[in-house]
Amino acid sequence: MMQSPPKAIAPRAKTGIPVLDERLQGGFPRPSTLLLFSEKPTEKRLFGENFAIQGAKAGETCLYVDFFRAPQLARGELKRFGAVDPTKLVLVDATSSQLLLPSHEKYHIDDIDNLANIREAIIAAMTAERPGRIVVDSMEFLMDRFPKEDVLRLWRELIEAARSAGTVICFLFINWTLMERELDEIRAMSDFVVEFQSSLRGGIIRNSMRISQMESNGIRTNWIPYTFKDLVGLTVYFPRILVTGPFNAGKSTVVKALAEKSISIDRMGTTVAFDYGNVNITGIEAEIFGTPGQERFEFIFKIFAREVSGVLLVVDASHPDELARARQMLDLVGPRIPYVILANKSDLPGAIPPEEIAHRMGLPDDVPVVPTVATENKGVRDALLMLAEMIIGVR
Amino acid sequence: MTDVWVRLEETIDALSRVTDIKSAAVVRRDGLVVTHTLPDGVDPKMVAAMTAAIVGTSEMATIQLAQGRFVRAIIESDGGKLLSLGAGEEALLVALVYDDANLGLVLLAMERAAKQVEAILRDGAG
Amino acid sequence: MLGDAARRLQGILTELRRLPAVLGATIARRDGILIAHALPKVMDPKKIAAMAAAIVGTSEMAVIEMGLGSFNSSIVDTQIGKMIATGAGEEAILVTMVRNEANMGLLLLSVDKAVQSIAEVLRAAEVPA
Repeated sequence: MMQSPPKAIAPRAKTGIPVLDERLQGGFPRPSTLLLFSEKPTEKRLFGENFAIQGAKAGETCLYVDFFRAPQLARGELKRFGAVDPTKLVLVDATSSQLLLPSHEKYHIDDIDNLANIREAIIAAMTAERPGRIVVDSMEFLMDRFPKEDVLRLWRELIEAARSAGTVICFLFINWTLMERELDEIRAMSDFVVEFQSSLRGGIIRNSMRISQMESNGIRTNWIPYTFKDLVGLTVYFPRILVTGPFNAGKSTVVKALAEKSISIDRMGTTVAFDYGNVNITGIEAEIFGTPGQERFEFIFKIFAREVSGVLLVVDASHPDELARARQMLDLVGPRIPYVILANKSDLPGAIPPEEIAHRMGLPDDVPVVPTVATENKGVRDALLMLAEMIIGVR
Repeated sequence: MTDVWVRLEETIDALSRVTDIKSAAVVRRDGLVVTHTLPDGVDPKMVAAMTAAIVGTSEMATIQLAQGRFVRAIIESDGGKLLSLGAGEEALLVALVYDDANLGLVLLAMERAAKQVEAILRDGAG
Repeated sequence: MLGDAARRLQGILTELRRLPAVLGATIARRDGILIAHALPKVMDPKKIAAMAAAIVGTSEMAVIEMGLGSFNSSIVDTQIGKMIATGAGEEAILVTMVRNEANMGLLLLSVDKAVQSIAEVLRAAEVPA
């Protein structure tokens, strides 16, 4: 079943989140099969929609097969990702026939109880549109109506068709009925599996996703917390990055340098409660909290250091006598939390080189140390991006 | 899970309708916003962080001063009062109140709301 | 003379503590350093100073963020008593611990008086630049 390759497009399919795309060496390779898997419907759909829209924004034609929503509703909901050229987003209408209504879409499934008809409609759309990306929302709809062997056969056929066409195809799926063995089969058919999970703690829902490449030695990320930003789409989201370190190391300055808008509760030149800022850079949103450095304010850690995504440990490179205190403060945050050390004031005379700092703090040599001059916003962003990559599981 | 949030939202909406209460919020004890009726122009994330700092520090101060159990924190200003209290293990309740408010009634309403919030979060977690 | 200022501040605290409702009092710098105290031995004045500074600093910021005009005081209600923290001039805060049964009206008058005196002492003690 040879198809013409997709209309002229980039060799890899971006997710639109720079940190992730970098990890994927530009995006998902073409062709690829993605499996989007979760316990609940909403989270995986967001990734699927985001993937389609990012393609459209990049000028790729994207095919979206929606078994649940009427095309007008789907298009309406997709608007929240921002404006795209409507010709780039092609919907395969699978609901009008269910509602016994005529379809206004170019591609439509007329007999929802006929798997062959479903297959034909999708393949026809693929052949005619030569999309760069295809999203199938969602496979459990078919699993509910047809024998699983037939659905799995269709699944393989669609994968094969997408592969010949050199395109990226994305299957959404919630498992109700399959055994683990059958799930393994589906995973094995896929190049990448994106899993989703959601947790509720103290009234706040945390969504995260994890990308695993099925081939051995393939990419495996950690659980990546994400959120949705209006008109932008999926963003990596760190609910709390702590900026800490000894008194006068430059923590408040780091917070000010990173965040567009920040507050600092300080008196007589020292932070007495905390600094707070919201950072938005290259597909990452983070809430950053600066702690006071003075020992008398250590009680603040008990309040704010509970759910910390990562730490930026700021030390004054020109005051190596304070490194012991810096190490102490790192211990206040707790073990197993990713951190990056900022060797601040690295422009001052007497500043010790970054390579020496980890060693002097009794930390392993592979601990990342970034020389910074926070007052001039030098190196600070790099440190945050490095931390982001560590949290995601890129470094 | 969204059910928890809806119920919390309802509790805060109801509390904000109480006479003398301008607006209210449920925030997590570590300073994250859960839900609120704060007006535009007020950053809920900052209010959440500040409330957490105030209550958290006040609770520790209460222990330091051997004063038994922390009950509530009140910030008094020209333009009104900011009241905050615990709402279970995970959350805090904060309300902005008019300066000449009948504190007795307001506190009663807040304590009731705090118990509701605690129950909702406990149910949601189970 | 700094020693004189210290004596006068201690005097203000002692005076405050004479009120039956007052359990203890502390003067702290706004950055959390202890200046003077009249607290029962069981309470750590340095910790109180730092915590009160954090509370007042944060409360003042909250008042600004919510557009509430000027900050007056922060009150922590507990089972046994109240902790009242107010600014005492630009550089300091006064923290007063009172019993729950206190007559707040009279008490706040005394606290106000103390605050004025403290501010005056600190102003006078400032070494001109």
